[in-house]
Amino acid sequence: MAMPETPSTSSLGQKMLSIPRGVWFLLLIVLATVPQFVTMTIPNIPEDSSAALYKELMTLPEGSTVIVQTDWTKSTQGESRGQFDALMRILMRKNIKFAFMSVADPQAPEVARNALKELNLERVKNGEREYKRWEDYVSLGFFPGAEGKGKEIGESMLDAFKASKDKDQSNVERSVLESPVMKGIEKVGDLSAFIVLTGTKSITIALERLHDKVKMLGLVTGVMGPETVNYYTSNQLKGLSIGLKGVYDMETMMQFGANHADSSGKVIYYMKKFTDDIPNWEGKKNLDRGTRYYLTLHFTIGLMIIAVIIGNVGVLLTRKKGNA
Amino acid sequence: MFTFVGMKFTFGVIATFGLYSVLWRENKFYRFWEHVFLGLAAGWALVTLWIETLKPLWWDKMVGSIAENGNTAEPGFWAWAFMLPIGLAGYFVFSRKHAWVGRVPVAIIIGLWSGQQFDVWIQKYWPQMNASMVPLFPTNFGFRPQVPLDNPVLKATIEQNVYLSQAIGNLIGTITLLSVLAYFLFGIELKSKFMQGTTKLGRYLLMVGFGAIFGSTVMMRFTLLIDRMYFIWIEWFQNIVMGRGI
Repeated sequence: MAMPETPSTSSLGQKMLSIPRGVWFLLLIVLATVPQFVTMTIPNIPEDSSAALYKELMTLPEGSTVIVQTDWTKSTQGESRGQFDALMRILMRKNIKFAFMSVADPQAPEVARNALKELNLERVKNGEREYKRWEDYVSLGFFPGAEGKGKEIGESMLDAFKASKDKDQSNVERSVLESPVMKGIEKVGDLSAFIVLTGTKSITIALERLHDKVKMLGLVTGVMGPETVNYYTSNQLKGLSIGLKGVYDMETMMQFGANHADSSGKVIYYMKKFTDDIPNWEGKKNLDRGTRYYLTLHFTIGLMIIAVIIGNVGVLLTRKKGNA
Repeated sequence: MFTFVGMKFTFGVIATFGLYSVLWRENKFYRFWEHVFLGLAAGWALVTLWIETLKPLWWDKMVGSIAENGNTAEPGFWAWAFMLPIGLAGYFVFSRKHAWVGRVPVAIIIGLWSGQQFDVWIQKYWPQMNASMVPLFPTNFGFRPQVPLDNPVLKATIEQNVYLSQAIGNLIGTITLLSVLAYFLFGIELKSKFMQGTTKLGRYLLMVGFGAIFGSTVMMRFTLLIDRMYFIWIEWFQNIVMGRGI
């Protein structure tokens, strides 16, 4: 009886399919590391939503107050930290006061405080004014019931945060409503913006309750991007940064401005949605994690595409040989 | 490297290696760091819930506070004490005999949530439905030109027109919306070939959407790895070990 012919284990198709897992992981780690040592900006066209966010942030009135709902932790740090840094750099450079709160994760307030500490150190090192807790920013706390808190904020800021306390300059715990940050803020509409930075659905919960009462801006992860972008196209969000591309957009616009001519008169980024001249931050640290990670991401995605091609070609060759 | 910050970062690097060691295979080193991580997260959540939430929002309101001169700064309201048995009732879910008690706090939460949904639904979807109504017919058969930065009259003219490129984009959006909605018409039998074709198109377009979402998800996972590599090679190795940073 004739035995069916089985493909030889040394065929090219088999070899392609049997590349050890360790080799792929090693390649991935090398490609996720080496490009980080290269300082290079790759060509970019900022998304409309990122450009709108940059414009809204850059046109916030100096000295006004915003709420930053920070719902990211170490689990989305790759994208959220870059977004947080870019957002904070703009707010601090424009002397915007901010109050931050969290609704998604108990670790979120501390993660934000630590990141803020590092940014403050960077400011002091660069000879800029230190952003002071109580005077310039306060922590409103962690609120596990996002739906209830959103509703409360929409009705009255005084009621929503009357129990929240933070330490003043002399380290005494006082109601946040007594702080210079919250002075004159009685309803959510008194804020110049309500900014949500998240890797979760907390942005939709906030939008459902507040978008018609205050200007809302969002910075979300790549996973949350596709379902959040609807809120930008329907104008419920006035600006939106999505994932690492969003971080890179923000950083490059901080570096080159939007519709803004440099010293040689050249405009790097023309915006489709608006014609206002939004300046850059000359001589400041603008390009950071987003720029470093975005280049690296291209290498890792390149590896994934190669892996998918090798796998598919391997399967095709093996089947072809099996059929023959 | 032997400063507090240096030790902290080194600890983080060892933990990162420990957690990534599962890529090689399941091992005790990985298990150890997984449990450390879970323990830290649970402990942190407990303390934060008390400090940031329960104490200011419940305990302080219940017991009030006393000023430095000994007078009452804020009076306490004893009725807040009723929150405790309601909250603790949730733990009856672990009792077979009295599990029904555990449904009381859940029912309260669901009731509060449901009450909000009427308003929320309108707030969420009405602007999106409004934004779906877009012009499909062009008033100018060309591509939308670059808006000039210094010519407000030309800018206004450009914005008044619906260019062919915009109309095509709007048409694709409208076809996608209608065909995807048609795909979810499960209540009636769709016999006409047109409707069957529309629902099939809706299914394909949904798959395109899921593909885009999957792509975003993959990018995010890569970014997590890139961030860890940044922590190990830049923040720890370059800045701490080589002494170029902190």
